[in-house]
Amino acid sequence: MTNHQRPRGLTDPQAGFLLVIPGLAVFLAIIAYPFLNSVFMSFTDRNMMRQVWGFVGFENYVKVFKDIYFLDTLKNTAIFVVCATVLPFCLGLAWAVVLNQGFKGSEILRGVTLVNWIIPGTAIGFLWMWIFNGEYGVLNGILSSFGVKVNWLGAKGTAMMVVIIARTWQMLPWYMSFLLGGLQSVSLDVVEAARIDGANNWQAFTKVILPSMASIATVVLVLGIIGNLQHFDLPWVMVEGGPARATTTFSIEVYRTAFKNWNLGKAATIGTIWAVLLACFSFLYLKSIDRQDTD
Amino acid sequence: MFQKTKPFTAFVIIVSVILGIFIFFPLLWMINTAFKPAANTFDLYFFIGPLTLANFKRIVTDAQILTYLKNSLIVSFASSFMATFVSALAGYSLSKFRYRGRKIVMTMFMMSQAFPQAILLLSIYLMMKGFGLLGSYWALLLSYVTFTLPVGTWTLKSYFDQIPTALIESSKIDGAGFLRTMVQIIFPLAVPGMISIAIYGFVWSWNDLLYSLTLVTDSAKRTLAPGLLMTFVGEFTTNWGNMMAASIVVSVPVVLVFVFLQRYFIQGLTAGGVKG
Repeated sequence: MTNHQRPRGLTDPQAGFLLVIPGLAVFLAIIAYPFLNSVFMSFTDRNMMRQVWGFVGFENYVKVFKDIYFLDTLKNTAIFVVCATVLPFCLGLAWAVVLNQGFKGSEILRGVTLVNWIIPGTAIGFLWMWIFNGEYGVLNGILSSFGVKVNWLGAKGTAMMVVIIARTWQMLPWYMSFLLGGLQSVSLDVVEAARIDGANNWQAFTKVILPSMASIATVVLVLGIIGNLQHFDLPWVMVEGGPARATTTFSIEVYRTAFKNWNLGKAATIGTIWAVLLACFSFLYLKSIDRQDTD
Repeated sequence: MFQKTKPFTAFVIIVSVILGIFIFFPLLWMINTAFKPAANTFDLYFFIGPLTLANFKRIVTDAQILTYLKNSLIVSFASSFMATFVSALAGYSLSKFRYRGRKIVMTMFMMSQAFPQAILLLSIYLMMKGFGLLGSYWALLLSYVTFTLPVGTWTLKSYFDQIPTALIESSKIDGAGFLRTMVQIIFPLAVPGMISIAIYGFVWSWNDLLYSLTLVTDSAKRTLAPGLLMTFVGEFTTNWGNMMAASIVVSVPVVLVFVFLQRYFIQGLTAGGVKG
């Protein structure tokens, strides 16, 4: 027998670590370091128009909380996140129920629906700006035959509504896709059993079908909320957070403070507060999953 | 699942009509507007009336827009390739190797999706500016890799988890080193997963606005999304016909990817989820 030598080269743990290095390097350079640096920056008066900067402690935080617009931003973000999550969720569920009927062409219809979700946010923004255009938009064109004409994107009261409608249109297919998968995995035997017990459609839906979709519904809602808390494209493309800050959410506010007003310290402060809110939410989500497991 | 009672049939019909109009009419109206001659842009006819290709001709012969298109293609292909490669290495490592710190790396990757992009952007901007990368493709390429990395690593890790470790062992016994085992035995088995991650990365990069708006200061390197925004928004009079044609042009590549690779696309969709 020849004496088997250990193969030359790396041990398994070394090889494993070597493979994860590129990913880890990107993560540290483009996510971890920027995050920590931005939190650090929130305690400075850094500004892109000046070279010199120094520590200011909690001054930025005091300023932001005293800022008369801060509550507005918080309110706008809350309205946007709640409406632009609940609306496409409900409509996506209704659309999933329709597509789940399995009529001829429902597969194709499902695919075509997804087109709305994959096209760029910039194009979606342009599209809805055009439909809601105050002068020549098709909606006002139809409404004007009833003598109604609304400056949808130019008025404080309606601009947020239009942005939410556009976001609903964009995200409906995404919710539909998940919820249709959820519907299809509901056990038909259990539904049948409920039927034999005399449940009608509505009772079967609320008492059997929805509860057995609870976990997928929770996941899409949480992912949807996280996505909406981050969302930038539509309010920026359509109205740049206006008119009069009516559609200014956290992401718009951070972007504008940093890259229009060049106030990095303040932008980092708003961003940090926002990240803390997001973290609280993720924590609640993890806890709710824990509770589901122990039940 | 549902009994076809009268109220249920009524529900299905009403929802089909209302949601059908809501979902499909806007896109049709965009296409409709793009095909209307400039003189008829504001007329409310629906395809039945004068139509023209003039808007598309103007968009695809515009040198500036062609530059944006070229940049978008370069950045999206390159970043999607890089992200898939890096994710595959990391996913394989986390699935089949055991070493100190593995758990920490996994937790970090999982959490990274919850960081608000805008706050990362502040420091990324300063960093790229410091390295003098704001006028090159690199600032965008590197940033886009991070969009896909967490989702990609997790998806591919679960792919590798399904591949029996015995396969690696037997390849080792046959004398193959770890690189050869990885490249010739294991990676080919995960190709479907890699394709769906590549698609995910491509669509993310193609559709991004926030990062490209900020990290590219040189108009010769600008991508389509911010390019179109700067071309059409903020002018005195908006040319809606051109704008709709441009929106279609920017949408066509991702729609094509979707149509031809739909199977993989749905996989990536259910794996990743969040789109900002």
